[in-house]
Parts: sequence; structure tokens; C-alpha cells
Amino acid sequence: MTAAPILVFENVVKRYGALTALAGVSLTLHRGEVVCLIGPSGSGKSTLLRCANALDPLDQGRISFDGHEVRSSETSVRLVRQRMGMVFQNFELFPHLTVLRNVTIGPTTVLKLGQAEADARARKLLAKVGLADKETSHPSALSGGQQQRVAIARALAMEPALMLFDEPTSALDPETIGEVLSVMKTLADEGMTMLVVTHEMDFARRVANRVAVFDKGRVIEEGTPQEIFTAPKVPRTRDFLSHLGWHGESK
Amino acid sequence: MDINLTPILTSWPFLLKALGMTIFVSVMSTALGFVIGTLVGALRTYGGRMTNVVLGFYVDSMRAIPLLVILVWTFFAFPLLIGASINAVTAGIAGLGLHLGAYVSETIRAGLTSVRRNQMQAGLALGMSRFQAIRTIILPQAIIRMLPALGSLFVIAIKDSAIASVIAVPELLRQTQIVAGKTFRPFELYTAAMLAYFILCYPVARGVDRLYRRLSHLGSS
Ligand SMILES: Nc1ncnc2c1ncn2[C@@H]1O[C@H](COP(=O)(O)OP(=O)(O)OP(=O)(O)O)[C@@H](O)[C@H]1O
Ligand SMILES: [Mg+2]
Repeated sequence: MTAAPILVFENVVKRYGALTALAGVSLTLHRGEVVCLIGPSGSGKSTLLRCANALDPLDQGRISFDGHEVRSSETSVRLVRQRMGMVFQNFELFPHLTVLRNVTIGPTTVLKLGQAEADARARKLLAKVGLADKETSHPSALSGGQQQRVAIARALAMEPALMLFDEPTSALDPETIGEVLSVMKTLADEGMTMLVVTHEMDFARRVANRVAVFDKGRVIEEGTPQEIFTAPKVPRTRDFLSHLGWHGESK
Repeated sequence: MDINLTPILTSWPFLLKALGMTIFVSVMSTALGFVIGTLVGALRTYGGRMTNVVLGFYVDSMRAIPLLVILVWTFFAFPLLIGASINAVTAGIAGLGLHLGAYVSETIRAGLTSVRRNQMQAGLALGMSRFQAIRTIILPQAIIRMLPALGSLFVIAIKDSAIASVIAVPELLRQTQIVAGKTFRPFELYTAAMLAYFILCYPVARGVDRLYRRLSHLGSS
């Protein structure tokens, strides 16, 4: 990968009281790259994403985004967050707003875009995620897959340089997972830089440029999907994958 | 008992004006109470420890002192403290509003804390300031969730405006007392006043309830 680094974690440590959620994580994302994070529950994947856009402060180490350190001084952090889209496991759409307003609220309140311009931008994105006909609905009237696609459109409306996805499909019914993954695949094909926490091994295999395996707050193995899925070097990775495989078959 | 409606028929313009004053005092004190309550509730939820302690003292004292005493103090004692007199309507609105604000703040606080933490994170992740996220995301949901409680507080504010009669605010109860005293027809006049309060408050209570049923689904994230 010759593209420039855009998001760099250097020896990141994060503690919650006595618990060390991240025990020295180093990871680099390059422009246009899709990196999937996999690993057992509680291994610190969500924590890493929250640290990336400073929703959680670090205890040690350094994260830089586009050459600038992600610090916790209010304004610079807000600038970083504007340029990093985040998609949550439970969508976190704003229930009191229509689908259209969910997508425009970032541009209008943060970027101070005019309503008409924001509406136009939102409609384009809703069409892109296949929900052009839902703009006047409220989130409670949508299926999980539709809600997550609105959440993706909401993040894209800020025109981010990078997207963070935290298990975007694990709260979904199996039949709606595909529609969300296909939107993500399209984004990846268009060259969006993405850091994706996922248990969808198929997606990781087909879309990721690299896969990083997390365990106990550390990256224990990192490589191409080929390397990780066909010839994992670390025993713990093999355990984790076979555990998932076993889950897959038991369904 | 014979019923004589003549006093009501002759003094209805006077009583209607009094009803207007009741509405004016209720609306103004509710507006004041809701503004104070929203600010205090948000500051106690999101502000620092000191803010919480200071504002907590305001809330607890308003809840510990009878409204009647607050009104009497505001009108008769407070002017001595500042060395200037204030008119009864202003004192009434201020006292009622400050008292109501404490209860509104507790309701708002409960509403704000009931919105799950990730909603704030979703706002921040878009690049919003905490203030923007509270104003555009958390507070609207909190208010929708708390509509029944806030509606009750509004109705209570209308009813409590009658207490301002003790500081001679020319509202419905006070003016009814005057007419009843002059005409010696307390039964007719107080019955009319009671009906007027009911007719004023009942639709408000029903209206808030209907509004809540229409909006409640917008408040659950
Ligand atoms: N706000 C918090 N306060 C205290 N502990 C926390 C907090 N957030 C996370 N943790 C702890 O940090 C560890 C890592 O959590 P994290 O959510 O990052 O794991 P994860 O890899 O995302 O797991 P999952 O697959 O279940 O989402 C866990 O032990 C968790 O209990
Ligand atoms: Mg997680």
C-alpha cells in the first residue's frame, strides 16, 4: 500500500479504572483502505473506535488523523469528528426527526449549510442508500436495515474523509444484513477509507484490504484477508475463527 | 336555598377581566418557570459539581417553602430588602415562576438522563458541541418523554395562580371575593369561579394528553 497514512494509532493505551481496555495498540490506515477489526467480545474494538474520534480520551500513546494529533481540546476535536463518520451498532438515529432531518442535522448545525443545500445533499445520499422514498418517515417506522442505511447517509452527509463502523450489522435481522453490507461495499469500491469492526467474515474476506485481529486490548495479528483467514499464524486467531465458524454452522 | 344570578349578570365584565388576568399570570409564570426549569435542569445534568450544588439548593428550597409563603415574601418582604416597591402582578408572576421552575427542572432532569448516552455520542460524532447536541437531540426527546408531567405542571400553574389572590393580584379568585363580599351572594359567585377554573384547566389537561399520544413515539430512542 503506497497511499498516504490517514489514521495512525501509536501505542494507544486506554484504561477504565483497573481494567485496561486497550493495552498498547498500533495500527495504520492509509487513504482508500478498508481495514476490518475482528476479535472476541470485550477485546476493545469499540473502545478503539471511540478513541479514534476522541469520544473517549486516551491514557497513553498517540492518534493522528490526516497528519494532526487527535487531541482533546474542544475545537480541534470537533474538526476531526466532522471529517470522521461514525456508524453505531444500534444506529442511534434521532427518533424525533424525520429521515431527511436526521441526515441534514449535521450539515445544518455543524457545517452551517443552508437548509435547501442540506436537503439536496441528503436526498442524493438517501437515493444512494436506496431510501429516497422514506425521507418523511420517522426512524421508528423503518426496519433495522433501513435505519442503519439512514445512519450511514447521516454520516456521509458530513462528507467525511474516513468512516468508522462499529458492528453495523450485529443488531440486524439476518434478512436485512445484506442491504447494509452492500451499501458498505459500494462505499469501499468508491474509495472511501473505512475502519470496520465486524463479525461478518464474508464481508471482511471480500472487501477488506487488511484484517486486524484483536484480543485483550491488543492487535495480535494483522494481515491481508488471505493471510488471516487461510493461514493464521497466531493460535488465538485460529481459536477465534473456528469459534465463529462453529457459530456459523450452528445457526 | 334560593339562587340569584343577578350579581354575576351585572358584574360579568369585571369577572371576565379577572379571568383574563388569571390567564395572563398563568401563562407568564409558566413561561418563566419553564425557561428557568429547562436551564436549571440542563445545568444540573451537564454542569459541574458546584453548579449542581448551588442549583440543587434553589430547587430544594423552593420545594421546602410553601408557595403561599414565597408569594407573600416576594410581595411584602423582598421590596424592603431592595428598597423599592414592586407591583403585585410582577411579584405574583415572579414568585409563581420561581416556584414552578424548581419542579420543571426536576422533570427536565429526569427526562434528560433518560435519553440514552449513545444519542449524545451520535451528536458529538457528527462534530456537534455538547450544547448543540443537547439543544437539537437530547432536550427535544426529553421534553416529548416528559410531556404528561410538564402538562400537569402547566395545569398546576393555572390553579396556583389563585394563590396570588393573597397579594391582591386582581385575578379571578380575588375579584370574585370582592364581588361576593359586596353582593352577599358567595354561593353563586364561588360556584361560578370554580366552574371557570374547571373550564380553563380541563381542556389543557386533555389537550396535553392527546398531544402526548400523538408524539410519544418520537421520544423513544
Ligand atoms: N465506559 C466504560 N466504562 C467502563 N468499562 C468499559 C467502558 N467501555 C468499555 N469498557 C470495558 O472495556 C473493555 C473493552 O470494551 P469494548 O466495548 O471496546 O469491547 P468490544 O471489543 O467492542 O466488545 P464487543 O464485541 O462486545 O462489542 C470491556 O471489558 C468493557 O467492559
Ligand atoms: Mg463493541
